[in-house]
Amino acid sequence: MTEVEEVKEVQEIKEAEEGKQEHILRRARRSGFSVPLLPKLLLFPLPLLLLLSFFYFSPNLPAQTTPSTGASPWSHDLGGVWMPFPDKRENGEPVISGIEEKTRPPLTPWGQARFDAAIPFLGPRIQPGKENNPSLLCEPEAVPKSLILPNPFEIVQIPGRVFMFFEEFHLWRTIWTDGRALPKNPDPTYLGYSVGKWEGDTLVVETIGFNDKPWVDAYGNPRSEQMHLTERYRRVDHDTLELSIVIDDPKAYTKTWISSPRRFKFEPGWEIGEYFCTVDEEQDYAGRIRKPAGGGPSAAPQPDLKK
Amino acid sequence: MQEVKEVKDIGKVQDKNFRRLRRGGFSVPLFSHFPSFHLLRSLSVSILVFSATLHSQTTQPAASAPLSHDLSGVWMQYPDGDIPGIPGMNAVDDRTRPPLTPWGKEKFDAARPLVGPRAVPGEENNPALRCDPDGPPKLLNLPNPFEIVQIPGRMLMFFELEHIWREIWMDGRPLPKDPDPTYLGYSVGRWEGDTFIVETIGFNDKLWDDSFGNPRSDQTQLTERYRRLNENTLELQIIIDDPKAYTKPWVSPPKLHKLERGWEIAEWFCVLDEEAAYDKVVRKPAGVAPAGKK
Repeated sequence: MTEVEEVKEVQEIKEAEEGKQEHILRRARRSGFSVPLLPKLLLFPLPLLLLLSFFYFSPNLPAQTTPSTGASPWSHDLGGVWMPFPDKRENGEPVISGIEEKTRPPLTPWGQARFDAAIPFLGPRIQPGKENNPSLLCEPEAVPKSLILPNPFEIVQIPGRVFMFFEEFHLWRTIWTDGRALPKNPDPTYLGYSVGKWEGDTLVVETIGFNDKPWVDAYGNPRSEQMHLTERYRRVDHDTLELSIVIDDPKAYTKTWISSPRRFKFEPGWEIGEYFCTVDEEQDYAGRIRKPAGGGPSAAPQPDLKK
Repeated sequence: MQEVKEVKDIGKVQDKNFRRLRRGGFSVPLFSHFPSFHLLRSLSVSILVFSATLHSQTTQPAASAPLSHDLSGVWMQYPDGDIPGIPGMNAVDDRTRPPLTPWGKEKFDAARPLVGPRAVPGEENNPALRCDPDGPPKLLNLPNPFEIVQIPGRMLMFFELEHIWREIWMDGRPLPKDPDPTYLGYSVGRWEGDTFIVETIGFNDKLWDDSFGNPRSDQTQLTERYRRLNENTLELQIIIDDPKAYTKPWVSPPKLHKLERGWEIAEWFCVLDEEAAYDKVVRKPAGVAPAGKK
């Protein structure tokens, strides 16, 4: 495939995804306004109900139903445990979404060398027995990979900060929302340095200061210390969080990598369990589950299974 | 084998900490506000009056202090270890360790620490060398900062060491009946007066209680007692009740922590390659373990 064809294909996919995104938004808005209002109204005493119904049927109504930013009580509140919706292929296989390989821009020579050296334990490039996914040595998964694995995370908001707690490897990260700027020349780390700000009802998180050790996904796509990661979080309705991931890493990719949004389901009552990676258990798991007969998993993409 | 000494005067040690704190806590910040000694002398009368007021205040219940139910902030151990100026690993104090049970003794003898009199260069088997997570109480013992964040129904603790976080439920729930054994255990906390009491059960037996190889079994019930003595000082007392490993509860004297404004908990992950390199370069520079604590 020539580069022109590839660019065209990426463009087509992007357009298709944008259409899907609109559809998701519309669906979420519909359900978001109707469902939670009703039970609350039933609790109100009758006079208040009459008063509210006056407003409900007043001519102001059409203006209220057009999506206004910050209108819903939860629009600036992302607190809670979120679990990715199970995305499936047409044949029913679960897929890892959030960072989509099909939308990946062409690699730079540096990126290509890294990618070729990476031997994942799922996807079409597996080589049984030679896998070198850093997580096999229990290195931290880190963002953005933590955001695309099929495990829950919790968000806690306090003034000036947003915390994220990932069940995978018991990771946590801080997103500073006190208005500070990104640091000028941060030391490279697994999680990077993150600042966030609200744009309307979207929390935009910018992260720099990454090291180049983990992969961005389970398929061996690289990240460099030049990566600038943007995450856009939007609570489209009470039970649905939408996340768009944009990777700008000029050392590894020739263009910005824009993936289509991924959705998470609100799970009230869930607690983030303790799931640490320890080398003994990890290698035991790799021996028994990932490569049950020394063969290795099927070539079809599979979710990055919980160890 | 080291001799296990019974410390009967834990109360005295605690009192000494209080006294030291009151002296240091009240006088040092006051003096630092007055750069000129001349000015200070002119204010000596008012200071005397002020200190008399202080004296009467200390008899009042500390719960009236506005900060007494607020433990939030970054806390760092006071440098009160055996080496002057260096924070010591004595929040779990092995000078106060009770006698081991046979199970505990076996575990202890099998442990090959990196530090202390039992360190054998090249034979160390501290689980931290394999980057296994450190859990409480060892996590609380090591001289690294931690941050406390209070949110409704929960207290969150963030440790710089290995980037570990834990949550302490304070929504009134009881301890679970039969929790799965984990590295961090399951923690609930409550206020008793101005003391925040954390109870934790549900530990696994993979970790040590301290850096010297003292064991931790799955029967451990850990109690942590936190008290903010003044704005800048947090006191922590650790009590280990582990009948499988120790013949009696292990009560360590309280340890003080200093509030560090403006500090942020940095990212420090344990990574096997780096850990092995550090082990080679720093811990055993010439094939010899560092000098022990005792």
